[in-house]
Amino acid sequence: MHLNFISKSEKETENIGNKFAKQLKGGEVIGLIGELGTGKTVLVRSLAKALGIKKSITSPSFVLLKLYKIKNSKIKNLVHVDAYRLKNEKDLIEIGILDWLNKKDTVVVIEWAEKVKKILPKKAIKVIIKFGKKENERIIKIKR
Amino acid sequence: MIILGIETSCDETAVAILEIQNSNFKIRKNVVSSQVKIHAKYGGIVPELAARKHAENIIGILETALSFKPEIRDWKSKIENYVDAIAVTNGPGLITSLLVGVEAAKTLAFLAKKPLIPVNHLAGHIYANFIDQSQIFQNLFPAICLVVSGGHTELILMKDFENFKKIGQTLDDAAGECFDKVAKILGLGYPGGPAIAKCAQQSKFKKFQTNSKFSIKLPRPMIDSGDFNFSFSGLKTAVLYKIRELGNIKTQKFISEICAETQQAIIDVLIAKTIHASQKFNAKSIILGGGVVANEELRKQIKLKIKNLKIKLLIPPKILCTDNAAMIAAGGYFKLKKIPRSKWLIKFDWQKIKVDPNLEI
Repeated sequence: MHLNFISKSEKETENIGNKFAKQLKGGEVIGLIGELGTGKTVLVRSLAKALGIKKSITSPSFVLLKLYKIKNSKIKNLVHVDAYRLKNEKDLIEIGILDWLNKKDTVVVIEWAEKVKKILPKKAIKVIIKFGKKENERIIKIKR
Repeated sequence: MIILGIETSCDETAVAILEIQNSNFKIRKNVVSSQVKIHAKYGGIVPELAARKHAENIIGILETALSFKPEIRDWKSKIENYVDAIAVTNGPGLITSLLVGVEAAKTLAFLAKKPLIPVNHLAGHIYANFIDQSQIFQNLFPAICLVVSGGHTELILMKDFENFKKIGQTLDDAAGECFDKVAKILGLGYPGGPAIAKCAQQSKFKKFQTNSKFSIKLPRPMIDSGDFNFSFSGLKTAVLYKIRELGNIKTQKFISEICAETQQAIIDVLIAKTIHASQKFNAKSIILGGGVVANEELRKQIKLKIKNLKIKLLIPPKILCTDNAAMIAAGGYFKLKKIPRSKWLIKFDWQKIKVDPNLEI
C-alpha cells in the first residue's frame, strides 16, 4: 500500500499523524525517514496524542529510546526511538530494541530509520517525508 | 569527609574525588574521559555512545582518580581507609551507559563496605554550584533552577538542598540539541554549542546593518506562552527556512550572523522563562546548571538581566557545567549529611540501587 500526502502546514502534518494513528492496531514498526526540519517530531507528537498519551513527547536523541505506557487501550506501549546519533543498529540492539519489535501490544516509531535498516522488520511501515516547493510544504509518503 | 563520585549517564565516563571539610568542598580529582588520553593508554578510540566504551574506560578513569595516596597501591584498602562514601548517577540517561557506572560503583561499595548513594543526574548539575567555594549558600531558597544541556531543558523549583519540583520542561528538543542540529545544518560539526558560539562571536565584530540583506530574525519559541515549558524543535526548522529564503548563501558573513541569531533566540527564551519563574515563585536565587550554561553569552546576559532584581545568581564554573562526577559526589554529600554516620550503610545499601533511564527529578 502506498499513500501520498501533501501537507501545507504543521497543522496538516498533525492531522495526517492523527489519521495514521487511528489505522494502527498494535505490533507495527514505523520507520520515519526525512531530513532535519521535515516534521518527524511533529508527526510523532500527533501520533502519540492520538494514541492517548498525555505526556509530552520529548526528543529521545540522547537516551535513544523512550517508552510511553498507554492506559485503556489495545495498544499498551509506544516506543519512540531516535537513531540520529547512531552509525548502525548495534547500540539499539544493546538497549533492547528487539524486545519491542513485533510485539502485539506495542507500536515502535523509529526516527532516522535509514540508519538502522537491518533491524527493521520486512513489514515495517516506512514514512518518507520530503520538503515540498513552498516553505511549509511537505510531501509525505507512507509505504507498507 | 571524602566522597568518590561516578558518572556515566551519557557520553562522558567520569570519576571524581571530593573532599568536604566544614561544609567546604575541595575537588581532589575530577577526571572526565574526554580530558585524558585514555584511548591511547587502552588502545581504542573513545566514541560518543557505546556503553562498551564506558566499560573499557571506567577502570582507567578510576585508576587516574584514585591516584591520590600513591603509596597505597590496592584500591580496596585505599577506599576502605580514605573514602567515606560512593555516589553514582542512577538516571536519567542512556540505560547501558548508566549501568556501567552503577555496576562499577556497586562492586567498589561491596568490596570496601561503603555506603552507595544514588544521585539524579539533573540534581547533580544543580549541585555543581555548591562546589565553588566563593559562592555563599545562605538565603538561597526557594530557588529557581534552570538545567539546560544537550539532553535536557528543565525549570525546577528548589525549596531546600534536597527538595526539587519540576515546573516546566522542553516539549520536544533540548536547547543543546537545537545548537547541535543548527550546527549540523550549517556544517559546523559537533558539539554544536561551542561551534555556534564561536561563529556568533565573529558576527559581533562586523556589526551588520539592520537593513542589510543578511539581517536575520528568528522566532523566540513559546516566549509568551505564560507557562514554563520550552520548545526548540521549530527553531532549527526556522533556520532551514532562512537559508532557503536567502537562496542558500553560505558565506562566512551569513553563517556568523545566523549563528548569532540562533544563539540569541535560545538565550532570550531561557532567560525570559527563568526570570518569569523566579518572580512567580518569589525565588531568592536563580541557579543554573548543565552543558549549555558554559555558553559565555548566556552567562553574561543573565547576569545583566537580573542586575536590578533582588535575586542571587549561581552559575558553576564552566568546567563543572558539562558532565562530571564531582557534582555527583556533591549530591551524595547532601543526602549523606542528613543522616547519622552509624546509619549510612543501612540507608545507602549498594543492593538497593535502582537504575532508571527516565528518572525524574
